[in-house]
Amino acid sequence: MIGPGRRRALDPVRLALERSLFESCAEEMGVTLMRTAHSPNIKERLDHSCAIFDRRGRLVAQAAHIPVHLGSMPRAVEASLALAPFAPGDVVLLNDPYAGGTHLPDLTMVTPVFLGPGAPEFFVANRAHHADVGGAAPGSMPLAREIYEEGLRVPPLRLVRGGRLEEDVLRLLLANVRTPEEREADLKAGLGAQAIGVERLRELARRAGAGDRGRAALRRAAEDLMQVAERSVRAALRALPRGQFRHHDVLDDDGMSDQPIEIAVTLTVGEGRARVDFTGSSPQTSGPVNAVEAVSRAATWYAVRCVLGEIPINHGTFRPIEVVAPPGTVVHALPPAAVGAGNVETSQRIVDVVLGAFAKALPDRIPAASSGTMNNLLIGGVDPRTGRPFSYYETLAGGHGAGPGWHGASALQAHMTNTRNTPVEALEHAYPLRVVGTQIRRGSGGRGRFRGGDGIERTLELRARARVTVIADRRRRGPYGLSGGRAGARGFTRVEQPGPSGAAERSRAPWPGKFQADLAAGSVLTLASPGGGGFGRPARRRGRRVRSGRRAP
Amino acid sequence: MSRSRRRQTRKPAAVSAGPRVIGVDSGGTFTDFVALGPTGIHVLKLPSTPRAPDRAVVAGLGRLGAARGTLVRHGSTVATNTLLERTGARVVLLTTRGFEDLLEIGRQDRAALYALAPRGLEPLVPRRRRIGVEERLGPRGERWLPLTGAAVRRAFRAVSGRRPQAIAIGLLHAYADPAHERRLGRALSRLGVPITLSSHLCPEIREYERLSTTVLNAYLGPRVCGYLAGLARGTAARVEVVLSHGGTATASEAAREPVRQLLSGPAAGLAAARDVAAACGYERALTLDVGGTSTDCAYVDQGLLPRRRARTVAGFPVLLPLLDVHTVGAGGGSIATCASGGLLEVGPQSAGADPGPACYGRGGPPTLTDALLVLGRLSAGRLKGSALLLDHRAAERAMLLLADRLELAGPVAAALGVAQLAEAHIEAALRKVSVERGHDPRGAALVAFGGAGGLHACPVAEALGCEAVLAPRHAGLLSALGALTGGARREASRSVLLDARERDALERGLAALERRVRGSFPSDRRPRLRIERWAEVRYAGQSHELSVRYGSDLAARFHRAHARSFGFFESRRAIEVVTLEVRASLPGERIAPARAWEGATRPAGRARVRGSSGWVSAPVWEREGLSSRFATRGPALILEAGSTLWVPKRWRARMHPSGTLVLTRGRS
Repeated sequence: MIGPGRRRALDPVRLALERSLFESCAEEMGVTLMRTAHSPNIKERLDHSCAIFDRRGRLVAQAAHIPVHLGSMPRAVEASLALAPFAPGDVVLLNDPYAGGTHLPDLTMVTPVFLGPGAPEFFVANRAHHADVGGAAPGSMPLAREIYEEGLRVPPLRLVRGGRLEEDVLRLLLANVRTPEEREADLKAGLGAQAIGVERLRELARRAGAGDRGRAALRRAAEDLMQVAERSVRAALRALPRGQFRHHDVLDDDGMSDQPIEIAVTLTVGEGRARVDFTGSSPQTSGPVNAVEAVSRAATWYAVRCVLGEIPINHGTFRPIEVVAPPGTVVHALPPAAVGAGNVETSQRIVDVVLGAFAKALPDRIPAASSGTMNNLLIGGVDPRTGRPFSYYETLAGGHGAGPGWHGASALQAHMTNTRNTPVEALEHAYPLRVVGTQIRRGSGGRGRFRGGDGIERTLELRARARVTVIADRRRRGPYGLSGGRAGARGFTRVEQPGPSGAAERSRAPWPGKFQADLAAGSVLTLASPGGGGFGRPARRRGRRVRSGRRAP
Repeated sequence: MSRSRRRQTRKPAAVSAGPRVIGVDSGGTFTDFVALGPTGIHVLKLPSTPRAPDRAVVAGLGRLGAARGTLVRHGSTVATNTLLERTGARVVLLTTRGFEDLLEIGRQDRAALYALAPRGLEPLVPRRRRIGVEERLGPRGERWLPLTGAAVRRAFRAVSGRRPQAIAIGLLHAYADPAHERRLGRALSRLGVPITLSSHLCPEIREYERLSTTVLNAYLGPRVCGYLAGLARGTAARVEVVLSHGGTATASEAAREPVRQLLSGPAAGLAAARDVAAACGYERALTLDVGGTSTDCAYVDQGLLPRRRARTVAGFPVLLPLLDVHTVGAGGGSIATCASGGLLEVGPQSAGADPGPACYGRGGPPTLTDALLVLGRLSAGRLKGSALLLDHRAAERAMLLLADRLELAGPVAAALGVAQLAEAHIEAALRKVSVERGHDPRGAALVAFGGAGGLHACPVAEALGCEAVLAPRHAGLLSALGALTGGARREASRSVLLDARERDALERGLAALERRVRGSFPSDRRPRLRIERWAEVRYAGQSHELSVRYGSDLAARFHRAHARSFGFFESRRAIEVVTLEVRASLPGERIAPARAWEGATRPAGRARVRGSSGWVSAPVWEREGLSSRFATRGPALILEAGSTLWVPKRWRARMHPSGTLVLTRGRS
């Protein structure tokens, strides 16, 4: 279907065809990974992404289920290039946030694709959030001070060399994680996805023409698609008002001290380009909320993508957008800072500030802040029913910010995550846990002419002693409203521990947003996610009730 | 055309004895009928009556002479439309206290990843009609909080105060023990409205999906009942309804569990396509149904219709096995645009019926249909079997406009691009149902139907490496034909979560399910039943299952299936049976193939067609007049009422004794 044809500057038909083929290739890798993986994290929660890169490590196409992977994967390919020269059948594995990764549970595989003799022409990569990669707490997102506590750190290395699995590497890896059987199965699913990607790219090259001609055509297509994306982003940026727009917001704390952590941004919109500068953000901290630069870029690009609307995503998309994240700050952490929560919490706040800056440029388009935290809950221990270790990870959706003309949606994942919940019945079957209730926090959305969406309140009872880690934010200050709309309600965490009599006793004081504790069987844990911010001044008198964003009143 | 052949396809003026069986498919535009009687097959196409769809059905049955002895097998869209239009019943939902919002929270994920204003799915039952009951079961059916008489009375008062038209009951872990749901159901039966119990409808693990299915069933019930009652008043014939698994059920059963017919129409079409492939000797087939706004794809393996658990219909999960039909927004009406960055895009927006494509002459946008018209693959003028006039000039103008925007050489270049891109989307959809589910499309047959399936089948088959394209007769009526040939079918399943070694308990569970499905057939038909036992199995600790046939070698089958799907198996690991399932079916109607028939030896005309490498002069054949010995080489066009088949250069077509045209690619 791809014919070399007459060469034009940019052929709108050929490129549309090639884009569709590249995208379906990435898509196919993603589905293969999901279909063959074992852990609920990948299978049910879809916490994974697949992508294709050119020989210089520039993104060509991506099937992203999780926005935080958007734009953070090119760094993984760049880091892998250090291992060159490659041979056919090599697969690189990495998770080191300081060498191409994001946080340790995200394992990334990079495979060079050889279409003929010489160097690899393309790379395919997949990234999946694994439920456990060792470290101080089950789920590998402990309240750590250094990355060494967060789990096994894997710099770019060959997991497969020339088509042969490096058994020694695999053994070392599996010896350092809590649920090795599941890890092994998920890694093998990842290798399967890589193989599919390689096979499909080779087929695309064959269809583009025989031998060198096909390879050149495919390379050219990738290059041209980047140009097309860049062109459309520049056009979209030209439609924005020019100027400098500032916004800042805070993370509650880093889990170690009470100090708020500042994220500041200056957005400069120029002629067909934009600069997003995080100068003024807090220095990196001793808790795990530090984000590596790749994560900050991913969050920025996500926000830009939301604002610009339908644009193709590849390396060219990002060329007109300059991201400045000063090294040593919370948005560009340096070793050995702990980074587990940078990916899941700080990334959300970065979106909040970048969208907040855009709201100043486009007050009639951008909504108020959404819940702004993933409310990460990690529980692990030994299941007394089976004697086997378990490791459970879940995030809790919250309310969306209201916008000019719409109410925020309730109980829906926002921004950098879109993972599903684990069914209550499956959870109670698989883990020594009991869900006491899951409710929408009515009225938690910020008031306004348009109301913010409501958060969720979820209560769990531990049926065995377990180590619990909670990493949540927006516990001190709710998600901001806009144009006079009120902030959404803050989230909270409550723990009731069994007293001497055995019955759970209610402790009045809410627990901090980020903590790690060994809790006894019978403890009851409540997590409440924030509501979204409201938009527009609330009506003084009770007017006609407007329909809610999510359901009819 | 021979006499016998002509008799078979003649339009029925009056059928003396009345047909034995009639297959009916009511779609948005047309209601199709295929009748099987003593004199052979009769087909009929009537305009649909969307406001009261039973009217077109009753009218058609009358014209075909349906009588008391006639069996009508009906593919119906009433359930689907009720859901899409949100015109279902006022449902009150009873669920475990503390989980009243479960229906609204769902799985908490959003459909649009990069939307500034994402929307969740609006639940079919609002908060004030979702009532929490004080009770709680554990995963093994343990009574963590027993249901008391006082709690039942409170629930009764709450429900009756909310004036329900239907009641849904879905409690946590009810698959493990239905006692609480049953007790509530008994108490509420006094209200005299239909009640759906999750533990009866789909006793399977995963509460949101089960709850959603239960609510859907309650929501659809009254409308579907009313529709079937209307049909019963209008005709003396016995009516059966095609369910989403491709088999039929009696009208009264279909009315009780209407959620089982959400994919009635596509299921019937898929069943017919499977039969077409089997008749031509293909066990593996991809199916391609290209319509006006969308394309349906599926993969048939070993003659088994593809099934998928926990899929969604209009966003709502349905925890019942449904046929795995994948739909994409690429059809004749798909709009071609110059997208951001200056690239061509086709679909997913559709011009619909009004204004329709540019060639309808009502100022519509450039579409795939316009492109095909410009390329000569679709002929201008009156569309065969339709009153619509296609305006070639309007199509050309639309393509010229598109070419200008894309900076392309002219209307033909634009049209070629539109066709190619649409075919790339169709190819991607076919890959989804085959490669992405672990099936190899190479060597399979591609069954093309629907109005435009035959226009794209050959290029797509080539890209996928399919061995042949099968173009059945009555390509526009395949769903009605499938309704006719699909047999009666019942299925029942239940989550048990047992170790695979607990054979006695498994056997007991299967026996109970089997009693249930047998009981729903009249006793005189039970001896002919074909019973299949299936199990959804996984390694203990896994979160997903594989479907395998139940038998004494269950473990070995599972290991094999696991190796096939995941590339490895673990023979020492414990195996868990999550769900048991029993399927019972009766064979459907068989249509005997004609032996041989005569037909035209010369094409009806010639047309100028733009193939992939230039303009060619192609013969145009009328499908109805082709003989049993017909064979030709591409390029050629073969026209039938409501559908066109494009045979490109290097492809050959020959008539199979079953009446299907088999297209294969010669060596170039």
